[in-house]
Amino acid sequence: MRLADQLYLIAHEERTGRSRVHPRAAGLGLAAGLVGELMLLGRVTMDGGELRVVSREPPGDALAHHVLDLLVAQWQHRDLRTWLAFLAQDAIAKVGERLLRAGAVEAVVRRRFMGPTQTTYLPVNADQRNAAVWAGVRLANLLVEQGGGLAPAEGVLAGLVLATGLTRHVLWDFPLHRPGLANLHTAVEFLPAELRELVEHTQTSVGAVLAAGRR
Amino acid sequence: MARPDTAGPDIVSRSLASNRLGVPSVVFFGVAGAAPLTVVLGAITTIYAVLGSTAVPLSYLVAAAILSLFTVGFVAMSRHIVNSGAFYSYISHGLGRVAGVGAAFVALPAYSMMQIGLFGLFGVVASGVAGAAGYHLSWFVCALAAWALVAVLNLLWVDLSGKVLAVLLVSEITIVLIYDAVMIANPAGGAVRVDMLAPTAMLSPQAAAMLVLAIAGFVGFEATVVLSEETKDPKRTVARATHWAVLIPGLLCGASAWAMAVNAGPENIVATAREHETDLVFALVSPHVPAILVQIGYVLFLTSVFAALLAFHAAVARYQFALGREGILPSAWGRTQPRTGAPLLGSLTQSVLALGVLIAYASSDADPLVYLFAWLTVVGGLGVLILMWAASAAVVAFFARHRRRENAWRSTVAPAIAFLLLSGVLAATVVGLGDMLQVAPDSPFRWLIPPAYAGVALLGFGWGLVTRLARPDVYASIGRGAGGGAGGARPVSPAPAGTPAPLLPPTEEEFPCATPSGTMPSGTMPSKTW
Repeated sequence: MRLADQLYLIAHEERTGRSRVHPRAAGLGLAAGLVGELMLLGRVTMDGGELRVVSREPPGDALAHHVLDLLVAQWQHRDLRTWLAFLAQDAIAKVGERLLRAGAVEAVVRRRFMGPTQTTYLPVNADQRNAAVWAGVRLANLLVEQGGGLAPAEGVLAGLVLATGLTRHVLWDFPLHRPGLANLHTAVEFLPAELRELVEHTQTSVGAVLAAGRR
Repeated sequence: MARPDTAGPDIVSRSLASNRLGVPSVVFFGVAGAAPLTVVLGAITTIYAVLGSTAVPLSYLVAAAILSLFTVGFVAMSRHIVNSGAFYSYISHGLGRVAGVGAAFVALPAYSMMQIGLFGLFGVVASGVAGAAGYHLSWFVCALAAWALVAVLNLLWVDLSGKVLAVLLVSEITIVLIYDAVMIANPAGGAVRVDMLAPTAMLSPQAAAMLVLAIAGFVGFEATVVLSEETKDPKRTVARATHWAVLIPGLLCGASAWAMAVNAGPENIVATAREHETDLVFALVSPHVPAILVQIGYVLFLTSVFAALLAFHAAVARYQFALGREGILPSAWGRTQPRTGAPLLGSLTQSVLALGVLIAYASSDADPLVYLFAWLTVVGGLGVLILMWAASAAVVAFFARHRRRENAWRSTVAPAIAFLLLSGVLAATVVGLGDMLQVAPDSPFRWLIPPAYAGVALLGFGWGLVTRLARPDVYASIGRGAGGGAGGARPVSPAPAGTPAPLLPPTEEEFPCATPSGTMPSGTMPSKTW
C-alpha cells in the first residue's frame, strides 16, 4: 500500500471517516505523503527546501502521475512549503479517491443541514475496516519490533505520523508501545536527508497552520 | 528544470491565493482584539473619569502615531522572520534568546491580566443592561456567565474570526461614527471647539503617562503577523493590514474622545464622565437620537466586550501554545486538541486563573470597574508597553546587524525614533503609574508594579540561561514560534551532513500530539550565537 494511502487510513476514524487530527494538518500530511511517494519512486529530489524533478518517467499510479505532471508544468514553483500548501487543499479527497479505486474504502455522500453534499471515503465492510486498522497496527508493530532501523518507506510514514500529531493514535498502548516512541524519533533521525527534510517541513507547516487557527 | 520556456497559467499561485486572506480579513483579525467599541465606550470614559484630564483625544492620536512608526520597522522585520508573530519571538531574534524568554515571561501575565480585567467591564455593563430590563443581577453573576461561555467556546476553538466578527466590527464602527456625528452636531455652548487637541496638552507628565492607557487600546494589532503565512502576499498584505490595524482604532478612538468633549464641553467632560461612567456616551447621545439607537449601542457594546474577551483568551492560549511548542513552558502546553487544534492546556490555564481572580474580587467586594477593569488593564497595558518597547529595541538591533535590503527609513530611522518615543512613554508610565491607579501615597501599589515586571523578566532571563546550559537543543529553537521554522522563503535549511537533527529530544517522556518545534537546524538564524 502506498505512503499516502496508509497515512490516510491512520489519520481517519475507520467507523465514521472523520479526521483524527485538524483537517488542515491531515491535508498537509497527505500532501507530504504524495510528495514522499515521488521521492521514494526516484522521480523527485529535494535540496534546501526546494523540489527538483529528476525523472519525468510516468509512475504507475494515476495520482502520483498527476502530481508529477503538476510539478513539471508549474516548474516556477519549487519551494516545498508552497507545494505542501497547494497539494493539501484537495489531498484528502484525492487520496480518498485512490483508495476507492483500490477497493479499500467506499464513497459515502452525506448532505449536511442546509449545506452542500460532502463525500467521505471510509471503509464500510469488515475486510476494509480490518485493513484500515491494520495500517496503524502494522506501523506500531514495526516501530516496537524493528526499532529505528526502518526502511525509508516505513520511516517516512512514521515521520509524517509524528509531524501531523498522530503519534498517540498509532502508539496508543503506553506500556506496550513505549519503546516504539523512542524508536520513532530514531527512525526519523536516520531517514535519508531529503525525506527527513520533508518530515521537518511538514511539521513546520502543521505548526504554523495550528497556530493561525483557521479552518 | 525540466522546461526552459515560460510556463502556462500559474495554477499553484492562483489556487493558493483564492483560499487566502486579503488585507481586510487581516485588518479585522487585528482590530478585533482591540474591539473599538469596547475602547470607546469602556476605556475612554474610564480614562476621563479616573484621570480627569482633557488630553484624552490627543493621547490616542499620539499613540497611533508612535505605533505607526513602530509598525514600520516591525513589519519590515516580520518579512525576515516568518513565525507565530508574538513579540517575544521578535525580541529573541533581535536581542537574543535570553531576552526573548524574559519577554515571554512578561507577556504571559500582561495579556492574561488584560483579559481578566475585561470581565470586570463586561460584568458591570451586562448587569446594567439586565437592570434596565428589570432583572437584578450582580456584576459577578454576569461576569461568571461570560467566563463560562468564553471558557467553553475557546475549548471548542470556535472560530469567531470569520464573518460574524466582520459583521460585528462593521456595526460597531458604524454606531461609533453615528454617535460621533451626533455628538459633534450638538456641541456644548453651540460651538465646536478644538482647543483640547492643542499639542501643548501632551507636555504635562500626566498626559505622557496617559499614553499607556491609549496604547492599551491598540493591543492586538501585532496579531496580524500571525497570519502572514495565510495571506495572499505575505510581504505586502501583512504590512498594509498592520498599518490599518493601528490607524483605524487610533482615528476612531481619538475622534470619539474628542466628540465626547465637544458635546459635554471640555470643562464638564470629566465631571460628566465621573457621573455616568461607562454610560457616558449613551447619556450624551440619548437626547438627540431615537431610543432604539441607544439600545442597539448597548447590545453592540456587550457583544464587543465579549468578542474582545474571546480574542484575548485565544491570544493568551496561543501564546502558551507557542511557548509550549518551543519548550519554554512544559511540552504539555504545546499540545492541541487533535481535531479542532485548540491549545487545550493554555486555554484551561487562563480560564482557571480568570475564575480565581473573579472570585477573589467578588469576595472582597471591590468596585469591579475601577479595581478589576481599570487596574488590571492598566497593569497589563504596562506589560504590553514593556513588550513593545523591547520589540522596538529588537527591531533596531536586528537591522543594525544586517540591513537585509530594507531602506534606511524602514530599517534604521523609523525604528530608532519609535524606540526613543516608546522609551519616553515607558519612563513616564513607570513614574506616573501610582497616580493612574489612584492609590494612596503610602500604598505599596504605587511602586510595586514595575519591580514586579522586572522580577518576572529576570526570572525569564534566568530560565533562558538555565535552558541554554541544560537543554541547548531547546535553546537553539527559541523564538521560532509555533511553526518551528524561522526563515521566510526557505524556512529550514538542511542539516549539515552527519549531524542528523532529531525532531524531538529522545528523552521526551510523553506522547506529544503536536510536537514541539524541537531542534530544527538553525541555518537561517543569524550566524551569531548568543
